[in-house]
Amino acid sequence: MAKLNIEDLKTLHEKNKAAFGPDSGKFRTKVTVHMGTCGLAAGAKQVMDTLVEEVKKNSLADIMIASSGCAGLCGREPIMTVEQLGEEPVKYCDLNSEKTEKIVKEHLAGGQIVSTFALPPKKDMPFMNLQELRVLRNTGFMDPESIDEYVAREGYLAAAKALTQMTTEDIIKTVKDSGLRGRGGAGFLTGLKWEFASRVPSETKFMLCNGDEGDPGAFMDRSVMEADPHSVIEGMIIGARAIGANYGYIYVRAEYPLAVKRLQMAIDKATEMGLLGKNILNTGFDFELEIYLGAGAFVCGEETALMRSLEGKRGMPRPRPPFPAVKGLWDKPSVLNNVETLAQIAPIILNGSEWYRTAGTEKSAGTKVFALTGAVNNVGLVEVPMGIPLRRIIYDIGGGIRKGRKFKAVQLGGPSGGCIPEHLLDIPVTYEDIMATGAIVGSGGMVVMDDNTCMVGTAKFFLEFTADESCGKCTPCRVGTKILLDMLTDITDGKGSYKDMETLEDLSRDIITTSLCGLGQTAPNPVLSTLRYFKDEYESHITQKWCKAGVCRNLTTFMIDEKLCTACGACRRACPSKAIVGEKKVPHKIIQELCVHCRSCYDTCKFNSIRILPAGFEGDPNEFLEKASAGKKEEK
Amino acid sequence: MIELIIDDKKVSVEEGTTILAAAKKIGINIPNMCYDKRLRPYGGCRICVVEQEGNPRLLASCSTPAATGMVIKTDTPKLNKVRQTVLELMLVHHPLDCPICDKAGECDLQDMAFQYGKPEGRFIRHRKAIPSDVRGPLVELTANRCILCGKCVRICAEHQGRGALGFIGRGFPTVVQPAFGEILECDYCGQCIDICPTGALLSKPMKFQARAWFLEEKDTICPFCSCGCTLTIGTREGKILRSRAKEDSGRSEGNLCGRGRFGVDYIYSETRLKTPLIRKDGELVAATWDEALKYAGDSLTRIIAAHGKDAIGALGSHRCTNEDNYMLRKFMSTVIGSGNIDSSAAFGFWKVQQAISMAFGTKSHTIAMKYPLGKDVIMVIESDISATHPVFGLNILRAKREGSKLIVADTRDTKLTRHSTSHLRMESGTSVAFINGLMKIIIDKDLFNRQVVSKIEGFDAFEKSLDDYTPDKVSKITRISEAQITETAESLAKAKSRMISLTINVSENSKGMDMVLAAANLVMLLGDEPETLQIPAEYANTVGMASMGIHPAAGAKNIFNMLYEQGAVKGLFIMGEDPVSVYPFSSKILSVLKSLDLLIVQDIALTETAKLAHIVLPAAGWSEKDGTFINAEGISQKLQRIIETPGQAMPDWQIMRNLALAMGKEIGTRSVEGLSEEIKKTVIEQKNLADNRAFHAVPYSAGEIPSAEYPLALVVRDVLQHSGSMSTRSKSLDLVVSEAYLELNEEDATKLAVSDNSHVKVSSRRGTIYLKARVTDSVPAGTVFSSTHFPHSRVNTLLYYPENGTASPCAVKVESAK
Repeated sequence: MAKLNIEDLKTLHEKNKAAFGPDSGKFRTKVTVHMGTCGLAAGAKQVMDTLVEEVKKNSLADIMIASSGCAGLCGREPIMTVEQLGEEPVKYCDLNSEKTEKIVKEHLAGGQIVSTFALPPKKDMPFMNLQELRVLRNTGFMDPESIDEYVAREGYLAAAKALTQMTTEDIIKTVKDSGLRGRGGAGFLTGLKWEFASRVPSETKFMLCNGDEGDPGAFMDRSVMEADPHSVIEGMIIGARAIGANYGYIYVRAEYPLAVKRLQMAIDKATEMGLLGKNILNTGFDFELEIYLGAGAFVCGEETALMRSLEGKRGMPRPRPPFPAVKGLWDKPSVLNNVETLAQIAPIILNGSEWYRTAGTEKSAGTKVFALTGAVNNVGLVEVPMGIPLRRIIYDIGGGIRKGRKFKAVQLGGPSGGCIPEHLLDIPVTYEDIMATGAIVGSGGMVVMDDNTCMVGTAKFFLEFTADESCGKCTPCRVGTKILLDMLTDITDGKGSYKDMETLEDLSRDIITTSLCGLGQTAPNPVLSTLRYFKDEYESHITQKWCKAGVCRNLTTFMIDEKLCTACGACRRACPSKAIVGEKKVPHKIIQELCVHCRSCYDTCKFNSIRILPAGFEGDPNEFLEKASAGKKEEK
Repeated sequence: MIELIIDDKKVSVEEGTTILAAAKKIGINIPNMCYDKRLRPYGGCRICVVEQEGNPRLLASCSTPAATGMVIKTDTPKLNKVRQTVLELMLVHHPLDCPICDKAGECDLQDMAFQYGKPEGRFIRHRKAIPSDVRGPLVELTANRCILCGKCVRICAEHQGRGALGFIGRGFPTVVQPAFGEILECDYCGQCIDICPTGALLSKPMKFQARAWFLEEKDTICPFCSCGCTLTIGTREGKILRSRAKEDSGRSEGNLCGRGRFGVDYIYSETRLKTPLIRKDGELVAATWDEALKYAGDSLTRIIAAHGKDAIGALGSHRCTNEDNYMLRKFMSTVIGSGNIDSSAAFGFWKVQQAISMAFGTKSHTIAMKYPLGKDVIMVIESDISATHPVFGLNILRAKREGSKLIVADTRDTKLTRHSTSHLRMESGTSVAFINGLMKIIIDKDLFNRQVVSKIEGFDAFEKSLDDYTPDKVSKITRISEAQITETAESLAKAKSRMISLTINVSENSKGMDMVLAAANLVMLLGDEPETLQIPAEYANTVGMASMGIHPAAGAKNIFNMLYEQGAVKGLFIMGEDPVSVYPFSSKILSVLKSLDLLIVQDIALTETAKLAHIVLPAAGWSEKDGTFINAEGISQKLQRIIETPGQAMPDWQIMRNLALAMGKEIGTRSVEGLSEEIKKTVIEQKNLADNRAFHAVPYSAGEIPSAEYPLALVVRDVLQHSGSMSTRSKSLDLVVSEAYLELNEEDATKLAVSDNSHVKVSSRRGTIYLKARVTDSVPAGTVFSSTHFPHSRVNTLLYYPENGTASPCAVKVESAK
């Protein structure tokens, strides 16, 4: 394809706008199978194959079959969207081949919506209608491998605008005024970052994208890269223009093969069409972009470490100052932006900073994508205007706690974040408000935990992660996290002492104040926030040797409440160590000597008859539990 | 300037200064573990954190630049608390094996724990249990003691340009190790030992020798190359146990190479002479000083009587002090009455001096260790400065790191070529053609100031002489591509500041005076001052020796007459030199020395030359006497008497005085101080002559080129671990390199059916020797490499001496010795 100039791009946009979707008049129906990593893992490929085959079999002519990225509701994949002219798009979920066959027959051929598999219409579904899709504007709505479709959806028009109608100052001012803050976690004003780098004189500068999404449970960036790679590239072109960079790298973790593949396709296509490389859109601006694969070290998400890694060195952070905007990659001025940040740039340039501020709060403008996971009904990607209360995200968008269990905490910000308890759920999601709770907005991991979760165990889980991922450079992080982890392990093993809580807190604070980079400075947050909100759990672990959630094996005794037991035998069958005895109609019993504390019985029992008691407990469980809860009430 | 307040004291510093450095300026020492001013700020240990007024965050003072208006506190309860915690964390995994750690007593971690530590730790787990790595010859690595400050890793990679150590693993299990956990193979500079704040890296020869607090330390000057580094020598009970560099000390500013650090044990060589020896019935036997001096005096008198004063000659030594050399010259002039005195500098230093004075009219030019710093372009020609002058080499590496362009034209891969901006792989011995080629381009492209430069004497003839050196011809001779030659010429000409550096040495065969002259032409053409040309003198006291007048008087016999011409002299007095082992064409030297009526050798050990002598006089070693050395920069530095001389050995100057007395003449004071005073009075600093520049046409002459019979070009140079031949008497250095080897290219090796580490027979037109082969790609096909340090390897047998001062490329034949 010949390289485009500005006019060509506009023409192409107009042409393509009409070419995609049912309103193009070329076909009656458009069926999209969502084939992100989540969809593919759930079987989207099979669904796609069946769809193609069935459409053929039924000789349905005017149907356009397309694939796209994640539709957001990752927990319900595979998902398919059916759009027909003049009708509300219908989303089918939890698909397999049989269901697909049926949909083809009844809906596509017969015109009858298969309501049993379909999600309710958007207006009736809070998961959808409470979201505001800006970052995810294209995610799930277009074929990520088609640059034409991206151009149809106003793609590269922002880049064209930035390159021709705006000075670098204009671009920086627009982004600054929009109030967009870095979505990677720290929340630094993107426009300000650009401004710093733009002011440093240097022949060589770098525009970098951080796609090294490393928080456990976070997958926002992956989805964007997989489903809308061009939006990231376009953001980078605009950023590069703003700071005066002619070279760029997208640092993606090698564990994201699909993202890498689609980004590479996008780069190749864009280069071919003159949207990247030398003399972009014939404006004289050069920007060459490459992908660099990260080897999976969490610390390489830290900007200075990422740059070292890009240089081919050991990924270890460097002290700041000098800031990367002054001395970054290969000691040249560099700007590193997160995927989600970059995906927001194009609409801000097209629609202006005021538009961006229509969502969000004064200090936390715009929308934020969260990867909502854990014990909620609707697991998936959600993009919400900042300032929305946490409770709405969890209960309305997330559809509440799974299996009707009780909410315990929501973990925000991954290993750098903290746990927010029930009584704080009404706080608005803004950088400042979340920070005040001891958690952070972070990159957007949001893990909901129900009352089956041990909070000491949760802190331990994150410390295991950070202790393992600490690069080893600075003392507090290298040794401190390991000690925190070992103390938490002791507590969950029943070897903790009361003084440990004090030591944990004290050491945590010292690690935070003395660590070199963000990893160490935030690694103790999970400890501090659980100590702050769930101190009683620590206490019960230490003094009563009792993990009330039944997670810490050394700190539990499982007993069956004989009054509630229906002798159904489910627990007996689930028990891996044959520790449960009982016959039909005879309440079952757990032989303590054989019990391995795996909690299978507890999870299996439908009658809530399994009791979790302190280690080595003997006696009447109900009596003990009543006393314990009475004591607690008294305390309150 | 930046003004800030640290601990209520105002301080103003230059922009870019760190808080830590600013504090140091006003005498406030902020504790730290991972900071070293030679290295890029690291910010890893977190001990050096300070408080800034109005900033809730602590700042790492080692990496945070001072800013105007900062109010810094370096010692507050909060800081004490966190420093205590960080130390506590370090001590969690540091084994408290101080009783068996050589570092104890001078350990930063120990000292800091004493200063900040709490009597008890809250955490009592996580001792690492990694066995010490004792496999290397000189450095022992005990990972358990390592606190991962990374100083060793960084000094090795950043500063030394070697990168032999790295971090392996991540998080708590991180360890410092050589790549793949292999044996530490490196430059053996031992800088990592000095810089390690704990006992994780220790000197193996020093192991368990003495507790730090029993060591007596005295500073002296290194006896090897001309950098003139300050060694801090630690002794116990009169024995030298170690040598180290103190922070910032001396010309070397706290740096040392492996020779200065490990090589000083040559003083304890078993070959040291303890008594005078005289030849009786063909054997050297022990004698008393009286016997030996009488024998010597009588023999000298007899020769003078029979053949005249002119029949006696002497060689001075760069290993000896100014005082020693002064006394030798005084002995020769006043007692013997002969001007036949010379030294190995005739092969190097004097050639340079001669060329410099021909070109610039000056007697000498300034050499400065720090000269490379800040230069736009540095060009090193056919010289491995990082091996011959390691500490000077560090400054070249530093300059490169700080942005200088480093162009290295060399046959062989060296540390400098590896760090170069461009490595021009050239044919050995073709520097003159290369330099002429550069100048031709500069002139043709008019990249010089013709108006000024053409006024210099001899320009027209010089310009004309370059006609033949067109890029294509030069490219054919040097094998450097035309494009590279042109590019080099252009970048040299366009540079704002330059340094052109090389070395000329008795132990190097591919360079001569004509190369210096050509380089001087280049400097003049570029309109630079003579110091652009940095040619450091060879050895510790080459410059001192030269300024004591160890150089033939007008019309007197020089070293080439005395050593290579049968019958030029009848009696020869050699002080501190071993021509048989070191000088080229040793078979010739051997026959000349054997034919002498009298050979007196005065040295510290029974050298190959001493073995031929009629009289051997035992001299005090470098650490056994007071005196002065003058380094390459011309800086006079004091040596200290640190230990006793073995047996009856005594300082050379004293022997000269006694010999004169034995011959009935009193020639000097009794004390070295008196002697130094006398030198100051008599040796008047020779003022540089007026700048009187002249171009000289320097034609390139190929010398001995490879032929069908001798198809390979032998390049002889120093190796990093040795300096002259004396360092080969060091047990420690011998653990690393103990014999000469022949580097040859894989292509040649295959052709000759020679495998790595096998023995080869190497012959030139002058002799044959046997060496071990090292098959490598660091030399190109057609070229082989070796070095002359090792007396028993006899590499110098192959070489010849350049009669006209030019290079002496040597063609050899290599055969498998199976």
